[in-house]
Amino acid sequence: MKPVRLAASLGAAFMLSATVSTIALAQAPVCSAPVKVLAQPRDGLTLLEDSKDEFQKLSGASFQIDYLNENDRRAKSRADASTVGNYNVYYVDEANVALFASSKWIVPLTDYYPADYDYADFDPGRQKVATYDGKAWFAPLTGGGDLMVYRKDILEAAGIQPPKTLDELIADVPKLTNPDKGVYGIALRGARGSGANVWRWMPFFKAYGGQWFDGDKPAFNSDAAVKATETYLKLFKDSAPGTQTGSWDESTGAFLSGQVAILVESTPLSGMAVDPKTSQVVGKIGFLPPPAPLTGGGYGHGLAIAAKANADDASKKCAGLFIAWATSKENEKRRLDAHQFGELNRTSILSSKEFAGIYGADLGQALAETGKVTAVNFWQDPRWPDLGDRWGIILEELVTGTRTDIKGGLTELETYANELVKK
Amino acid sequence: MPRRSSLPVTFVVPTLIILLILSMVPTVYAVVIALQNRELSSTAYSYVWFSNFVDLFFDRRFLNAVWVSVKWEVVTVVATMAVAIGLGVLMFEVASPRLRNIYCLLFIIPVLLPRVSAAFVWKFAYHPLYGIATYPYRLLTGGLIFDPLSKPATALFAVASVDVWQWGLFFAVIVLKLLETLPPQPIEAARLDHARRWQIHAYVTLPMLKAPLISLMFVKMIESLRSFDLIYVMTRGGPGVATETLDMYAFSQGFIESGKVSYASAMAVLMMIATVITFTMLWKRVQA
Repeated sequence: MKPVRLAASLGAAFMLSATVSTIALAQAPVCSAPVKVLAQPRDGLTLLEDSKDEFQKLSGASFQIDYLNENDRRAKSRADASTVGNYNVYYVDEANVALFASSKWIVPLTDYYPADYDYADFDPGRQKVATYDGKAWFAPLTGGGDLMVYRKDILEAAGIQPPKTLDELIADVPKLTNPDKGVYGIALRGARGSGANVWRWMPFFKAYGGQWFDGDKPAFNSDAAVKATETYLKLFKDSAPGTQTGSWDESTGAFLSGQVAILVESTPLSGMAVDPKTSQVVGKIGFLPPPAPLTGGGYGHGLAIAAKANADDASKKCAGLFIAWATSKENEKRRLDAHQFGELNRTSILSSKEFAGIYGADLGQALAETGKVTAVNFWQDPRWPDLGDRWGIILEELVTGTRTDIKGGLTELETYANELVKK
Repeated sequence: MPRRSSLPVTFVVPTLIILLILSMVPTVYAVVIALQNRELSSTAYSYVWFSNFVDLFFDRRFLNAVWVSVKWEVVTVVATMAVAIGLGVLMFEVASPRLRNIYCLLFIIPVLLPRVSAAFVWKFAYHPLYGIATYPYRLLTGGLIFDPLSKPATALFAVASVDVWQWGLFFAVIVLKLLETLPPQPIEAARLDHARRWQIHAYVTLPMLKAPLISLMFVKMIESLRSFDLIYVMTRGGPGVATETLDMYAFSQGFIESGKVSYASAMAVLMMIATVITFTMLWKRVQA
């Protein structure tokens, strides 16, 4: 063989092998093993499981979601992240994102979130909740603030206008309670937890001017906290049975089954209330922002990349791709088509004609109005779950009557907060 | 003189070593952690020696948890044994052999249910508006609401009733089978002496069953210490801290609230010591 022909043959072979390698690389799957996700039950995630094949085609691997209810999910993810690290993706929320981020149990999301999936399209409020220390840590699955949802028929029958102020709410709730007819003025959350009873109590605390800390000094043992607690306990006298030791499920369940006249709850309730599959009060309800000066409890839940289970960059990219795909516009459109109101987070979907067509102008307007009073009510600090849960126990004791000294409870919490700050 | 075989040692020693490792490693590790100040959110730690144990005695929730655990132990063990003996004797006295078999089958079903499932079923049964267990109260009082799981005075008993429902009925079957194994002569002799039915059981059959009944009681005492799943599902220790037992509080401190694993371990170690001492004393007293 002539040297020129030999060189040409070798060159061609090299080019061919290089091309084949490039194609192979381009088609190399992003994921080499199924993505393990620890989450709490969400309709959006259940729907997502119908599209497993799509993710398999996209990434080369499937995914598996383990569900636990909110408190269990928090406990399990905390234990898993700090010890064995079995899960690639954690479901985190506004209450524990600071703890997970500062403990380095999760990694900054946007480092591994493919740009094509457009993180900036998420509702700005939810992006804010997902941000800690200047970085975004999770992609939202749900979020928002509070809305007041009320039964038009019950209020009309009682000759009461929907309350626009907290004083009106306090005055109206007892008038609307009629146990003989199985109707209660309001439904609150009594079950312990920073995301349970404390979450519903905080708007009252903020409405009366309360603040958690002044620098490093606890500032919550104040008249505002006492007044907020007194108001909360007063309203609890007219709260639906089962809510004294219940949380979101019990209070919304009572409203959706027609037992409650007024409910101030997180925004996903409004979508459930207009859905005949989940609500017995469709067509009888109205929406307004929470009575002034109650602030709406700004919140957000979403998916974050675990640090321990994703030891190398490739695993992190795989988890990032899963999160991006799960929260993509395409999947969010599927959730809109399935009328999963509480699972919508992208501005492109929330401002779409399809959204307005399904949920009507009233709800859209109420959502816009409530956005103005939505605030971060909790202490944005890694130690918040610890402090919030401690107050949750004391508050549950007050609600169920095992203790009666509000000031004593706050002083006990203040002592605990001082210990936390000292660490 | 026959030569001693080393075969038993060859078989027994490895098993004993494995058992020793399985039981001692976690125990020693728990004790070591209890002497440190480990928290889930930090990898840094140091030895604080007995500081966690001292803190426990100034912690009102720990003291409450000790009291709740004692109440739980007494209520569930006494009620389970009472139900077991009462139902066992009743079946022995009034039910035909065929009917006894049917009752036995029915009474075994509750204990076959996983604790978490049983807890969920009863949580719904106790719902103040829809619960089947609260329905008679609503019916008798014209619709008044009774929420046993949210009342501090009733919550512990409501949860304990589920434990008794599972174990009391199961033990009743065991008591019945024990009664059936007794020799008939002492019972016939008592009847000939015109002893009443309750006297026969109080003075003849149950004293004859003293040893197995005590064993059953010990089994239940140990089982009652592991009530975490039932309480966790039904009340999470609430209302307030009314049903917060030691294991519930330890888990709360370790994994739900503050991630204080060392503090939680200190509780577990104290629980272990208290259990060993109490059971040894009781066992010796019973043996005496």
